[in-house]
Amino acid sequence: MSALYFERSGRDRVVAGVCGGIAARLAVDATLVRLVFAILALAGGAGIGVYLALWVYSGGRRVWVSAFLLSCAGAALFIALGLSGAYALGASLLVAGLAVVLLRGGSLRPGGSLPVLGVALLIAGAVIFLGHSGARGSFVAPGAVLGALVLVIGPWLFRLTAERAERIRLQERADVAAQIHDSVLQTLALVQRHAAEPTRVASLARRQERELRRWLYGSGVADAASLVAALADAAADIEELHGIRIELASSGDAPLDDRTRQLVLAAREAMTNAAKFSGAAEIAVYAEAGPDSVAVFVRDRGSGFDRSAVGADRRGIADSIEGRLRRAGGTATIATAPGRGTEVELVLPRSKP
Amino acid sequence: MKRRVVLVDDHELFRAGVRGELAAAVDVVGEAGSVADAVPLIRELDPDVVLLDVHLPDGGGEGVIAGVAPERPAVKFLALSVSDAAEDVIGVIRAGARGYVTKTISSAELADAIERVAEGDAVFSPRLAGFVLDAFRAGEQVGGDVELDELTAREREVLQLIARGYRYKEIAARLHLSVKTVEAHVSSVLRKLQLSSRHELSRWAQQRRLV
Repeated sequence: MSALYFERSGRDRVVAGVCGGIAARLAVDATLVRLVFAILALAGGAGIGVYLALWVYSGGRRVWVSAFLLSCAGAALFIALGLSGAYALGASLLVAGLAVVLLRGGSLRPGGSLPVLGVALLIAGAVIFLGHSGARGSFVAPGAVLGALVLVIGPWLFRLTAERAERIRLQERADVAAQIHDSVLQTLALVQRHAAEPTRVASLARRQERELRRWLYGSGVADAASLVAALADAAADIEELHGIRIELASSGDAPLDDRTRQLVLAAREAMTNAAKFSGAAEIAVYAEAGPDSVAVFVRDRGSGFDRSAVGADRRGIADSIEGRLRRAGGTATIATAPGRGTEVELVLPRSKP
Repeated sequence: MKRRVVLVDDHELFRAGVRGELAAAVDVVGEAGSVADAVPLIRELDPDVVLLDVHLPDGGGEGVIAGVAPERPAVKFLALSVSDAAEDVIGVIRAGARGYVTKTISSAELADAIERVAEGDAVFSPRLAGFVLDAFRAGEQVGGDVELDELTAREREVLQLIARGYRYKEIAARLHLSVKTVEAHVSSVLRKLQLSSRHELSRWAQQRRLV
């Protein structure tokens, strides 16, 4: 509701209850209000115009009619004060513009648009008013006009900025909510369903932790295309598939291209082997991207194995790890012995030889 | 005799969990959830080791170390965090923490890490070793205070093996060194990190964000 909203008084009335209504709204004595109107009525009948305007407006209706009546009253007042016709016209347009803007609820009303016609009236009034003030015109007249414009447009601009900031804040909040919903809440639901399987719950929790971490500390899209991010993905998959813990460390990072992708696939195969055959509870993976080469180490403290005892029909190591690296221009070294654990070392020169 | 330990972490649930897990191995003498609470408490209790969260609501682990270290130089700090942000971890190490472990560490490993820190050793998780190698490599690219900041080939080798998941004993066997020598190398890396100029470290942090 506008601050300028008022109802005519039903009980305290002489003509239409306008003065009584205003007095009730402002909490002053009705006689005082009537006195002001009586004095204004002596100034070229302006008081009568204002009274009519307010009568029409009471209850928040017919804003335009009351603005017109107000501007007539304004013109009458200014002529009575001895201003020239042009001055009076400019001033009354100003009054009408202000009346429209303010009666519409003021420019600070949330969600309200700036009353364009009201502002147009204000500007027209200001132009006429200033155009006739000439060289003699004091600083007061243009100052007052400018002040009125600032009063009307200023809050509107302020509200626009505030609304924009609010919109951005809400958008961010929605993004966070969506992320939490897609990841954390889904995982919590899965955890509840699999509460009786500790390894599954642990791997779900670890996978969720990784995802949330990358979202919180990673740099978003660019990260997804890097060697370390791809290794983290592979590690998370294998943790989930085999219920094993993988500790991933890195120094430096490299972009993901056809060759580094082969490196990731070979590392993935090495992790899978460790998870399936070593019997170790944890695998350590370390990626190092130096200026000349990129290296990935996959290590477990499990059972180890004897290379010569692995049948020639078991193609996993030869094809998926060694062959892959050779085709990409790198080398794979597997250090292992029964009971001594296994370490797979994958090295890829930065540029293909 | 059990080591006297103070826990500083703003998550009560996490403190309760750690206290329960460590009850058999160490003596948890006090707990705090903020820098403001932690500093007077640690000064008063004078524990052997403080388990310190990197992130605290009123300033972080660095604030606690800065408030305690001048008065109680014998208190050792072990940083404990879920944070993956290298700048944060390196920051708390530079402030004076003797090591860094992630919160997913097992109880036995944590108890072991506390014991090692209490004895004056440095505790580097594989992840921290990676961060530290990064920091020094960036320092070399930038140039600057080379005398002080460069790692020796051996130190680099030790750090790389830690990053690959080797324990001190395994590193010693592989490099034909004694465990004491390996520990000395790690402590030396820690000292270099704490002495390297702020300028280079901030350059490094900037590079990380840009990459």
